[in-house]
Amino acid sequence: MQNTLSTTRKYPIKVLVWRATLFTALWWILTEGSFLAWGVGLVSVILASVASLTLFPPGTSRLSLSGLVGFLGFFLVQSVMGGAQVAFMALRPRLDLRPAVLDIPMRLPEGRSRVLLANTLSLLPGTLITDLEGKYLRIHLLDKRIPVESGVREAEACIARMLCLTLEEL
Amino acid sequence: MDILDLLSAVLLIIGAAFFLAGTVGLLRFPDVYTRLHALTKADNLGLGFTVLGLVLQAPGVAAGFKLILVWLLALAASATLSFLIARRAFAKGITPWDPEEHEP
Repeated sequence: MQNTLSTTRKYPIKVLVWRATLFTALWWILTEGSFLAWGVGLVSVILASVASLTLFPPGTSRLSLSGLVGFLGFFLVQSVMGGAQVAFMALRPRLDLRPAVLDIPMRLPEGRSRVLLANTLSLLPGTLITDLEGKYLRIHLLDKRIPVESGVREAEACIARMLCLTLEEL
Repeated sequence: MDILDLLSAVLLIIGAAFFLAGTVGLLRFPDVYTRLHALTKADNLGLGFTVLGLVLQAPGVAAGFKLILVWLLALAASATLSFLIARRAFAKGITPWDPEEHEP
């Protein structure tokens, strides 16, 4: 891990090329494959690359590709379940909700990963994040009879794998 | 009507059904928190299915990616917004609805 960090710092040009490629792809998507506005596009790509290097300096975080695929798979399956569950709850004749509020500690280190966890959990079945305070997540549950803790832990593990982070002890 | 159009129509109808369910939830659920559950989750799925249905009819690869990008941005926005609304409601002291208080 230490090794990769120092290589990224030594070769920022590699990072620059990588990000500029991503922004060029984004421009290509936004213009729907037409390169007519390539002048504006070139300026936009350069500005976006500079902004991203300033706001998100290389070496501050790493992304694991297999972790990303794992996270996306988990997220897609879980968000389909979350949407289907809440749709069912809304449409059934007798509204049978048992809301509750739960505080649970996070194992992810401070920073972006916790915000990503909060946003992910809000789209997962039965959980809505109402506060992020220090180590604790305040979760609003739609139905306290349905356990959510294992889902939260799995989401944490997926995010940690994707961002190459180690989970803290509780 | 070929198979792609048919599949696209089915996906669009599923998407519309989720939007409908989300709206029913918004109207029927008792408080701000439960309504946020309905809106963020059901609408996210509704938009997801709508986008999938439209991707099948997209004129090109770039247009298809653009639709997926729209979905991802809406997803990030709705998750962030629901968190902000719920946090503000909590900070203002709005207590979550509890069925035991409402039963005779």
